[in-house]
Amino acid sequence: MTTVAVHPVPDSSLFLPDLKLKRKESVLHEMACAAQRAGAARDSSLLHETLLRRERWCGSAIGKGVAVPNARSLAITEPRLLIARFRRGLDWGASDDVPVQLVLLVLSTSETSVDAHLERVARAIAITRTQRNRVKLLEAEDARVVAALLREVAQ
Amino acid sequence: MTEATLLELHDVDLQLAEARHPAHATRLKKLGFEPGEPAPLERVRGRLLASVERRWVQHYERALQRYGRGVVGMRDRVCLGCFVTLPTSAAPGSGESLTLCESCGRILYWR
Repeated sequence: MTTVAVHPVPDSSLFLPDLKLKRKESVLHEMACAAQRAGAARDSSLLHETLLRRERWCGSAIGKGVAVPNARSLAITEPRLLIARFRRGLDWGASDDVPVQLVLLVLSTSETSVDAHLERVARAIAITRTQRNRVKLLEAEDARVVAALLREVAQ
Repeated sequence: MTEATLLELHDVDLQLAEARHPAHATRLKKLGFEPGEPAPLERVRGRLLASVERRWVQHYERALQRYGRGVVGMRDRVCLGCFVTLPTSAAPGSGESLTLCESCGRILYWR
């Protein structure tokens, strides 16, 4: 296992296909709890707080309906990528004002170097660079389809 | 209280290390993010530091200066800072999750 690679979504617990939440704070909370349930985080409260603080320092909306929140934290036990989708989209403070429909949460353990963590973030962003991939992610029926797309992009 | 605050302080310091480094800020901008100034994080750090017990602050700051990180996790009784296996007797008491690594002096987070 490498800390640089973005891990494919291995099971449905890391794929939240249709969240109904309306605020990014609630979304980050839900995703932090999902990470803990999946065994990727030991402390969802600390993870949530770390994500919120990072969001205040460096907003994670990168435009075109995508947000890539990320964290290096003691709360994280395993490097993971979580994906959440919103059919209607929600305000994430993006500079292009496009509501966010895709959230890719990149989690790195606190032992991960900044460079390795940012490399993982860059790979997650690369997945969403093309409209074709964004549509595929938005229309994927389940975690297996998403995992297949991530593997395809990684090759 | 101290425990949760210390863990939060650790995560703030990880972010600060990123925020203070111009190369990292440049990389973040290239990725499409808009990183802010480190000053608000410095203020959070000061507030957290003031609410941690003094003995832990000393250990934390010493380890941070020496190794770049004040707290490290544990895996199978191995300190993830110096990778020394600690004896069972080094485990924290019930209800606690922090001790000091007998080998390197970092604060160990046992959860």
